[in-house]
Amino acid sequence: MIWRVSIFGFKTFETNETQCNLTLYVKSSIGQDNLMGVIAKIMAWVNIPSNIFGKLLLAPVGVLQGWFSITIISAVAGVALLAVFKYISDQETRGKIWDSIHAHMLSLRLFKDSLSVTMRAEAQIFKGAFFLLVYSIIPLLVIIIPVTLLLAQMGQWYQVRPLNVGEQAIVIMKLNHHMGEPFPEVSLDAAPAAEVTAGPVRVLSKGEIYWKIRAIENGKDRLFFNIDNKKVEKALSVGDGFSRVSVERPGWNWTDILMYPLEKPFGADSMITSIAIDYPDRESKICGTNWWVFYFFIVSMIFAVTFMPVLKVR
Amino acid sequence: MTRKYRKLNRREFIKRSAAAAAAVTAGVSVRPAFASKKKGVGARPGKKVIIIGIDGMDPGLSEIMMNTGRLPNLDKLRKQGGFRKLQTTSPPQSPVAWASFINGADPGSHGIFDFIHRNPEKQCAPFYAAAETLPGEGFLEVSDHRLQLDFWPFNHKPSKTVLRRKGVPLWDYLDAVGISSVFYDLPSNYPPSPSKYGNHLCLAGMGTPDLLGSYGTYQFFSENGPLGVKKEAGGRRSSVYFDNETSSPLLKLTGPVNSFLKTPRPSEIEFAVHRDKKARSAVIDIQGQKILLREKEWSDWIKLDFELDMPALIPNEHLSGICRFYLQEVSPTFRLYVSPINTDPSDPATRITEPDDFITDMSEELGLFYTTGFQEDHKALTNKVFSDAEFAVQAEYVLQERLNLLDYAVRHYDDGLLFFYFSSTDLQAHMFWWDSHEKHPTRSEADAKKYFSHLQKTYAKMDEVVGNMLSLYGKQATIIVMSDHGFANFRRQFNLNTWLRDNGYIQSQNATSVLKDINWARTRAYGLGINGLYLNLKGRERDGIVEPGEEREQLINDLITGLEAVRDVDGKQVIRKVHRTDKVFAGPETGLAPDLIVGYARGFRASWATCLGDMTKEVLLDNNSIWSADHCADFSEVPGVIFSNRPIKRTCPAIIDLAPTILNEFGLKIPPSMQGKNIFST
Repeated sequence: MIWRVSIFGFKTFETNETQCNLTLYVKSSIGQDNLMGVIAKIMAWVNIPSNIFGKLLLAPVGVLQGWFSITIISAVAGVALLAVFKYISDQETRGKIWDSIHAHMLSLRLFKDSLSVTMRAEAQIFKGAFFLLVYSIIPLLVIIIPVTLLLAQMGQWYQVRPLNVGEQAIVIMKLNHHMGEPFPEVSLDAAPAAEVTAGPVRVLSKGEIYWKIRAIENGKDRLFFNIDNKKVEKALSVGDGFSRVSVERPGWNWTDILMYPLEKPFGADSMITSIAIDYPDRESKICGTNWWVFYFFIVSMIFAVTFMPVLKVR
Repeated sequence: MTRKYRKLNRREFIKRSAAAAAAVTAGVSVRPAFASKKKGVGARPGKKVIIIGIDGMDPGLSEIMMNTGRLPNLDKLRKQGGFRKLQTTSPPQSPVAWASFINGADPGSHGIFDFIHRNPEKQCAPFYAAAETLPGEGFLEVSDHRLQLDFWPFNHKPSKTVLRRKGVPLWDYLDAVGISSVFYDLPSNYPPSPSKYGNHLCLAGMGTPDLLGSYGTYQFFSENGPLGVKKEAGGRRSSVYFDNETSSPLLKLTGPVNSFLKTPRPSEIEFAVHRDKKARSAVIDIQGQKILLREKEWSDWIKLDFELDMPALIPNEHLSGICRFYLQEVSPTFRLYVSPINTDPSDPATRITEPDDFITDMSEELGLFYTTGFQEDHKALTNKVFSDAEFAVQAEYVLQERLNLLDYAVRHYDDGLLFFYFSSTDLQAHMFWWDSHEKHPTRSEADAKKYFSHLQKTYAKMDEVVGNMLSLYGKQATIIVMSDHGFANFRRQFNLNTWLRDNGYIQSQNATSVLKDINWARTRAYGLGINGLYLNLKGRERDGIVEPGEEREQLINDLITGLEAVRDVDGKQVIRKVHRTDKVFAGPETGLAPDLIVGYARGFRASWATCLGDMTKEVLLDNNSIWSADHCADFSEVPGVIFSNRPIKRTCPAIIDLAPTILNEFGLKIPPSMQGKNIFST
């Protein structure tokens, strides 16, 4: 079955039965779990293809200079998102609004001695600008989804750096723990890539357990925790340069699952809320901690604006 | 050459570019527009001179250790004729001696005579001798704030810290002829003096304050601390209370003072401590950073962001500082030490290098490191926050950081003058030196030996440093290893003001301090600082009563005779010699000099109370401080050392000879501003 969807000036598009089944599943799930739980499940599913695409498409980051790779990604993303914007926005209506704004700007120049014409033209320009904004909302809401997923994947490369050999880091396990309950018996095994230098240190008031580890060997490794005789694991990255780093294995929380997509989240009924490693910041004003996001937005915007005439986007 | 750091501002860049372009267009041959001053006539390009300044290295102990084979590299230099005692300055205090090293002349040339001076116009008001903070001019009051806006149309002048050392430093002569010089941790140069031609780099050392504006203020949190905050010399103590093993209320780390407020008050950062008694560990949670420490463990350097509140609509100011945490004990009595808040070398809030970005360049390679002048936290030991062993560990961290900095210095050195300073021998000696069988002020005989032996190990590490420098540069460079003074036990303390009071020079029988309750109309002389003795001279001091001329002469003679005759209960001479500054100092900067310098005999020093003008009941007392050794005696009692890989021909070299020697090594003549002579010439 093919459905036609048109919402508030948003370009009409077609969807199929599979997507509707997903919607039905979402609706039925709401009856079983709360809404947040459903979104968390969706995010967990979305992360599977997202991680595959992220791994394949962003693989060159691991071998290129940081500034170069982020510039290329930002440029390609800017142009691609512009193209997406073109096809999901109502270009015809936007064009008419733009023409109207230009016409009124011209009248402003021509009839600058007439107060009434000037006032009317200014009002029309503001109105046009307002409608441009309104007609951008839904396309932007659609675009925000791939952008968010892309940023989540990029964050695994740029937000922090792997531990260097000899460097120490804190490992924090958050428990689904209530005040007064006894803490579970927890231990952290040494891994080939890291040794445990301190911990477990129990922070009763926050339901957290801390360890300190020291990286001893380059490579991707896993930390194994024993918690009340059950084994759980967390990925660990040691090495130089760029590699995907999973800061946190998230709990059953959709925002955390979105932000930390690389590892399977702990279930809603898990004793563990999350396990995080306090990796060092990446020092760079282009592709370093937090700065990379600014750089991405600036470069992608520059490329998007540059390619507007080429792609004939209004 | 070491890197050129002369940076052009935009206007200078445009001016020089335009001049160069015009010259090229006109076909005129010009030297490169951005070149620094050309090499001077006679200057020796490519020449290397390396000075290792080891503060407080004592010739007596060095000789004993050389004789027993424990300083093999220095002994090698001695056998080559490159060892002498080095005459220090009068008084033999570090800021005075290093300033004389810098100028190549006695204290009359630079105007630093003690750690503290007094303002005669304000009748004895004390101030730091080496640097001064000048108040700003003009401000704009906005609610609770007082803003100084240094741009048009306000043009207020913000307060600033200025270097009080006068005269021409030796690097100015090198700078002028294009010879590069780089100084690491140079004392008596905060804020660092500017380089005119960009051939000089300097990291300021002793005298550089922490972010609280002090010489170093630690913060100590403990379960048995005082109610509220207790300030003590060099530190602050607070209590910690735990609720469910988390500190409650939150602890407060005191930061720099917000001087934008009408009533300035310090900024603060709140932080929490979570402890696990079973694991004997704790987690410190500060500004989103989690620091896990086991008992007796030090943290790495932690960056802190201090926010200074500004009026509404104006963004708050932020200052970056760094500190280290040391978890002393988890239970039964929780104790946490926080180092003084140092200027962050990666984002300095104050100017501590010349040029400004020299410090950030160092930090890019080395990370974070101590930037205050006094790095070994002797105050924490004096106030019993640290044990002897803990101080030794902290001092070891400092030394290791400085050795890393020396590695950096060597990596970035090609030619010119390289100066590197070590404080470890001085501050460890103040705490650990004890070379007699007499009872130590605080330690058992075994502990006194143990820690004196620790100091000797530090000497041995300095010897290794010298060995490394000799192997790297021994054949290509003139290497000089020197100290500013030696050391002596500090067993008995002499209260100068009490002596003056008891002998009628201060006629106020109930007076307790020259800064508080003295009757100036009946005071003819007073002591301030460690070695300074001032006459209450008419026309110079605000409330002066001593007439210049004959009365002054008579008084000086009486004081010298009286002080040199003082004997301890066992008959030992307390004061070796009293020096008249008008006879021993030359130079134009003697305006703030004391009239007399009191030179104590070995084993004696001015009492703790004397330094800030306080009086005690008795003139002579035992020193009961862990600060058990000192060098503020007579200069003849505590000479420094000088070693070189070239034979030293001058029989009695002095610290003021170093700068002239360096200039001669680079082929420059000794300028008239210097009083010293070349040590390599007879």
